[in-house]
Amino acid sequence: MATEATEKNNEIVYDHNGDGIDRRGFLKCMAWAGTGTLCVIQGGILKSYSLSRLPEIIKKPAGELSFVQISDSHMGFNKPANPDVAATLRVAVDKINALAVEPEFILHTGDVSHLSRPEEFDTVDQILKAATPKNVFYVPGEHDVLDDDGQQFRERYGKGSLGAGWYSFDKKGVHFIGLVNVINLKAGGLGTLGPDQLKWLRDDVKHLKSSTPIVVFAHIPLWSIYPEWGWGTDDSTQALELLKRFGSVSVLNGHIHQTMQKTEGHVTFHTAASTAFPQPAPGKAASPGPMKVPADHLKSVLGISDVNFVRGHHALAVTDSTLE
Amino acid sequence: MKSTLFAGILILVSGIALIQIAGGRPGLAAANAQENVAPASVAIDNFTFAPATLTVRAGTTVTWMNRDDIPHTVVSTSEPRALKSKALDTDDKFSFTFTKPGTYPYFCSIHPKMTGKIIVQ
Repeated sequence: MATEATEKNNEIVYDHNGDGIDRRGFLKCMAWAGTGTLCVIQGGILKSYSLSRLPEIIKKPAGELSFVQISDSHMGFNKPANPDVAATLRVAVDKINALAVEPEFILHTGDVSHLSRPEEFDTVDQILKAATPKNVFYVPGEHDVLDDDGQQFRERYGKGSLGAGWYSFDKKGVHFIGLVNVINLKAGGLGTLGPDQLKWLRDDVKHLKSSTPIVVFAHIPLWSIYPEWGWGTDDSTQALELLKRFGSVSVLNGHIHQTMQKTEGHVTFHTAASTAFPQPAPGKAASPGPMKVPADHLKSVLGISDVNFVRGHHALAVTDSTLE
Repeated sequence: MKSTLFAGILILVSGIALIQIAGGRPGLAAANAQENVAPASVAIDNFTFAPATLTVRAGTTVTWMNRDDIPHTVVSTSEPRALKSKALDTDDKFSFTFTKPGTYPYFCSIHPKMTGKIIVQ
């Protein structure tokens, strides 16, 4: 099972590394940093567009509902990979504010802070105040729950949430589910949802019609991207099983600091880029630590994750390919 | 005269402090009692504990140092947790003195794929 998942993953990796990439195309994406994702729900189907392609997005018509996903702002990080993560988050906010149609809200898929320090959260809050969408929904990343199992995070962002901080809400007929998979991790394992959260999820979706579009968001990917680096969630298949009957399920994650997508049946999986620093493609470095590259190489290296998104060689890849 | 008195008080105060530290941390007291046990270290680099398995004599103080740009922790694999560090930022250290023989498996509670163990003889 794990091997199969890894192979699938490798397939995606090879797709964007061995295909004679059109470098001119992605070098146009000047601002790698501050990337966010614009999500548009149209006909119940979620489509996502990288904010690094803003001029192209502006031409796109809006759907029933659009919102922006940002992720991994890692406020407090100050190492060479990006010594000013506040500045790059501001770039993301500028891009959000430049959208032709104002998004309904912002989803932040975790690692808001680098070290769970109050001043780091304060800085992010301050920067996001400048964004036109005033509602921001959060789920924690592992960096947000250091030393206190997420208590501070829940006090700040989890009003009305349950358990470790999970919750759901409805917007324009779409059911949004925020899950927490960074608490109580087990040695040798991956992200974990846990039985309590799965039970809650079962009850949460029980009364919904199967035609209700579902958007699930959580920090660590709910699909097995690269278990060797912990890029997956141990009990995600149980969660997805509960959502099987729904006609449209979109899963939005962060954590891996690069965009990747795939579709399985009615389920589309998306990971967002970080607003702070890039991480290597799965297995392409000794560890998943921040990628430190010379400034003049930065755009091309980061562009690869973008191409991964755009090229869509993978039979199941969707979305940004339409922007070409 | 004044300075001698001050120094005397200082010695007295630090003496109390030492007793308190030793009293509050039995591991350290034992380490002091057992002379000539060389300290040992584990490096955290590239999301890996190195060495992954370290064998030491009872009374050894082991120090972990995080050399990654990303925070890590050192936490016992199972309860009760003999080891439980705070999140260690870049270049932060965590030390623990192992007084009792046994095997102490641990992991990084932030990146649970990172595992290691200390064998105390």
